[in-house]
Amino acid sequence: MRLKPHLTLPPLLALAACSTGDYRLFHPMNMVATQEWHATLVDVVVMLLIIVPVLLAVGIFIWRYRKGANGAYDPHWSHNTVLEFLVWGIPFLVVAGLGYYSVKTIYAVEPYNPGLTQAKAGPQNVLTVDVIATDWQWVFVYPQQHLATIDELVVPQGSVVRLRLTSTSVSNDIFVPQLVTMIAVMPGMRTMTTFDTPKLGDYTGFAADFSGAGFSWMQFATHIVTPDDFTAWAQKAAASPNQLSYAAFQKIAQPQVNEGAKVSYFSDPEPGLFEKVVAAAQAGVVYPVSDELSKSIGSNEHAKLVTPPGPNVK
Amino acid sequence: MQAQLPGPWSPLLGRLTLDQIPYQVPILQWTFAGVVVIGLAVVFCVLYFRKAGYLWREWLTTVDHKKIGVMYIVVGLVMLFRGFVDGLMMRTQQVLANGPNAPGIMGAQHGFLPPYHFDQVYSAHGTIMILFAATPILTGFQNIVVPLQIGARDMAFPYMNALSLWLTTAGAALVMLSLFVGDFSAAGWVGLIPLTELPFSPGTGVDYWMWAIQISSVGTTLNAINMITTIVEMRAPGMSWFRLPVFSWTTLSSNIIALTAFPVLGVALALLGADRYLGAHFFTAGNGGNLMLYTNLFWIWGHPEVYFLILPVFGILSEVVPTFSEKPLFGYVTMVAATFAIAGISWLVWLHHFFTMGAGPDINGFFSVATMLVGIPTGVKVFNWAFTLYRGRIHFSVPMLWALFGLFLLLAGGLTGMMLALPAINYTVHDSVFLVAHFHCMVLLVVAAAFAGVTYWFPKLFGFKLDEGWGKAFFWVFTLGTVITFAAMFALGFEGETRRLDWTFDPAWKPMLIVEEFGIMLYVVSIVCFVIMLAVSIRDRAKTRLAQPWPTARTLEWLTHTPVPFYNFAVTPQVNMRDELAWRREHGLDQAKPDRYEAIHMPSNSALPVIIGALAGVWGFAMIWRIWWLAGLSLAGIIVCVIIRSFDKNEGYYLQPEEIEAMETNLAIGAIIAEQPDRSHSSIPAEAH
Ligand code: HEM
Ligand SMILES: [Cu+2]
Repeated sequence: MRLKPHLTLPPLLALAACSTGDYRLFHPMNMVATQEWHATLVDVVVMLLIIVPVLLAVGIFIWRYRKGANGAYDPHWSHNTVLEFLVWGIPFLVVAGLGYYSVKTIYAVEPYNPGLTQAKAGPQNVLTVDVIATDWQWVFVYPQQHLATIDELVVPQGSVVRLRLTSTSVSNDIFVPQLVTMIAVMPGMRTMTTFDTPKLGDYTGFAADFSGAGFSWMQFATHIVTPDDFTAWAQKAAASPNQLSYAAFQKIAQPQVNEGAKVSYFSDPEPGLFEKVVAAAQAGVVYPVSDELSKSIGSNEHAKLVTPPGPNVK
Repeated sequence: MQAQLPGPWSPLLGRLTLDQIPYQVPILQWTFAGVVVIGLAVVFCVLYFRKAGYLWREWLTTVDHKKIGVMYIVVGLVMLFRGFVDGLMMRTQQVLANGPNAPGIMGAQHGFLPPYHFDQVYSAHGTIMILFAATPILTGFQNIVVPLQIGARDMAFPYMNALSLWLTTAGAALVMLSLFVGDFSAAGWVGLIPLTELPFSPGTGVDYWMWAIQISSVGTTLNAINMITTIVEMRAPGMSWFRLPVFSWTTLSSNIIALTAFPVLGVALALLGADRYLGAHFFTAGNGGNLMLYTNLFWIWGHPEVYFLILPVFGILSEVVPTFSEKPLFGYVTMVAATFAIAGISWLVWLHHFFTMGAGPDINGFFSVATMLVGIPTGVKVFNWAFTLYRGRIHFSVPMLWALFGLFLLLAGGLTGMMLALPAINYTVHDSVFLVAHFHCMVLLVVAAAFAGVTYWFPKLFGFKLDEGWGKAFFWVFTLGTVITFAAMFALGFEGETRRLDWTFDPAWKPMLIVEEFGIMLYVVSIVCFVIMLAVSIRDRAKTRLAQPWPTARTLEWLTHTPVPFYNFAVTPQVNMRDELAWRREHGLDQAKPDRYEAIHMPSNSALPVIIGALAGVWGFAMIWRIWWLAGLSLAGIIVCVIIRSFDKNEGYYLQPEEIEAMETNLAIGAIIAEQPDRSHSSIPAEAH
């Protein structure tokens, strides 16, 4: 650490951080994220409508009625029917309003979002990507494009992307700030999330729910590119000499850290790979993580690592 | 039918081998050295001052609710310190290990903690803070204050009370032991599933976590039974329900939650144990297991648990704010109603901990609205405290400062809780440090109330006040540290930082991580202030001895003498009003002396609870390491103790009126730190039956 915490430094740093665009959630990049950000604003404003007056009242009261000040002292005042109706009534109204608003917004940002799919695109503009979380990498399978990647999600601008998600081993959570909101990724189960891609851009996605020693290394690049670039990229990737058979996949699914989240491409993923992975997990296939492996990750012993054993079917 | 284990196992030592002792890890070497030095110092002092017998007779075997409460709080404060050190390590790791090129030291690739160690640290931090710091501290206050507040002689079941304490302590001891023998869980305080299953956590870490919680939660459940019975059955004559002080009300509601919620946790952990020990498939992803079942069960306990913590805190605020405003609490009846509304709703909201699990909008909608409903009674409470200040005469004593800061934390935590309660917002910040900051506002409110309680009730027990100047220094440094650390953490949440990262890959997070580190350093300073406060207070104790430490206190616990005699009240008080002491003071009755004393029936001390606690600790250790013979032996020992107890004919003793009179005139001999003569042979006067 080069910067030493120093008395004047933190406030300055705080200011510096405000001026940059690091507050990603303030800058949503598509429809779902925008609606979620609006919900945040509405909720905060409504809540502040009561919190600020309460803070002011408390501030005024402790000033005015501090011992020795001239506020009128009434040692018995402890009940007032009108006020007691108000102290229940005001929170009740706020919660009723926010509750209604909450339910409404849930439907608008629903991750399985068929509404979004229909509103924004015809079926030809829907791109399906199957996402498989392993210990500790992300495998993206593009069934329509006949390709697969490790740790890279590339999607064309102006489309709607449906991610189907599952995991080979433990539970996880996928997150691309500004673009893809959090959704659980679980072994033997599938979840889904949908997002649109109005603008070009590059993002970092990552794992958000702890999944073992390699968890902090689970980033993946996310790019929104023009449709032409997407086609070119897909051709390039699909031309990879490495084919993603189920056997090849099982090697990838061995617990391992992909340091620096290096991207790899595969051609011709085995048809129905996603379903196969789900079914395998349901049938009890696990990719065990030994204590030696956990201990070696992120430590200097990492180099000494032996290749882990094959999957263990119980 | 036993689960297959990696690694060696022997009948004599189970999974325990020499290389399970992490003597090569430098951090642990230093910790171990520290523990040995401090431990030896304590033992030396005890022996040097010839206090071993005193400790055993007056503390370890005691069944006095006040001493048990004190020991609960001491255990809680020790664990609070341990949990804090974990927090300090996590903050330091994250700021050192920021960016892909962050250097590493001490064997770590980034920062100074490899993930295997870091993950244990954050898992231990959460487990300790919630179950072994906040819970014992609050239980301690309930133990000390509730019987006094309702005019009772002791808890309904004094012996069981001691047993609860020692079971909780056994759990805490197991967590501490995991530092030096084996590892602790690396799967979060919530026991992330299926990460806690054997294929992903083959070591003994998860077992430490599981059995430590299991043992201590038996203690918590027994304590809940005890508290509920005490409040329902043992109120002094005249203390009708609507004269019950609010702290006792919140204790009642909180323990109803504990009694209903902890068994769920017990079952969830037992099923997990079946998976890990017997090779069952309750929570595995395959073979017909259902991992969401665990998550549901955990939070069916976990959410009520956080309200189990916060309700007594609301009680403490409701005692402190009126005392230092010289006014009764505004809206007593609505306050009680709000307490029970919060408790009731707390059973209906658990799913908000996994809105992102992919449930449909109808389910998420239901739990979103249910969660927000909690905001109504919580809002009521805040308003009521604000109106208690109105037209008061406010003293800014240390407990009041903590209470006011607590109010602020409640608003911050409530605002952010109401944000997380909207799935549309939750999807962007669930699993982020924004969530972590939300619940730290709430649990730091618990800590603030704990320190309010410590400064408020300390003189009641020990007869002298804590130093005001150092108390204020402690308060301000702690407060500043809290605001700086958690403001930065909220900011990081909006920057997209997620929780439990061993190294933080995004360099853009650096500035705020540094701010957090600065805030954490202020906590270190505040701990120094706390220790100085204790030392100075003890040094100057002669100067701060007062018959009535807080002349504006209102409730029954302040009616009896200070320091409180071990029999609580020489004569059971007759209650006439809601704020009994305030009422008596107003009518000039607060100094009235009883015209005669009657013999008091007291329970005898017993060594069995501490022995059972120790055996439970041994049993847990044996289960963790799968040393079956030892587990069987310690369990048999526990059963023998229970049988011995059930044949115990000792029904306590009677304090004679002369003795009481002597202690009422010389308070020092009845104080809880005084050594008592052996009274087990006091004759039993017939008319006292
Ligand atoms: C107005 C009242 C409150 C509301 C509306 C509220 C709401 C929430 C919600 C929705 C979550 C889940 C967030 C997520 O995982 O995405 C949450 C988490 C949490 N809350 Fe609260 N909360 C409130 C009060 C409290 C209190 C009083 C406490 C504790 C004393 C507390 C402690 C926690 C904890 C410990 C977690 C997270 C546990 C974890 O995942 O590790 N909350 N809260
Ligand atoms: Cu909750």
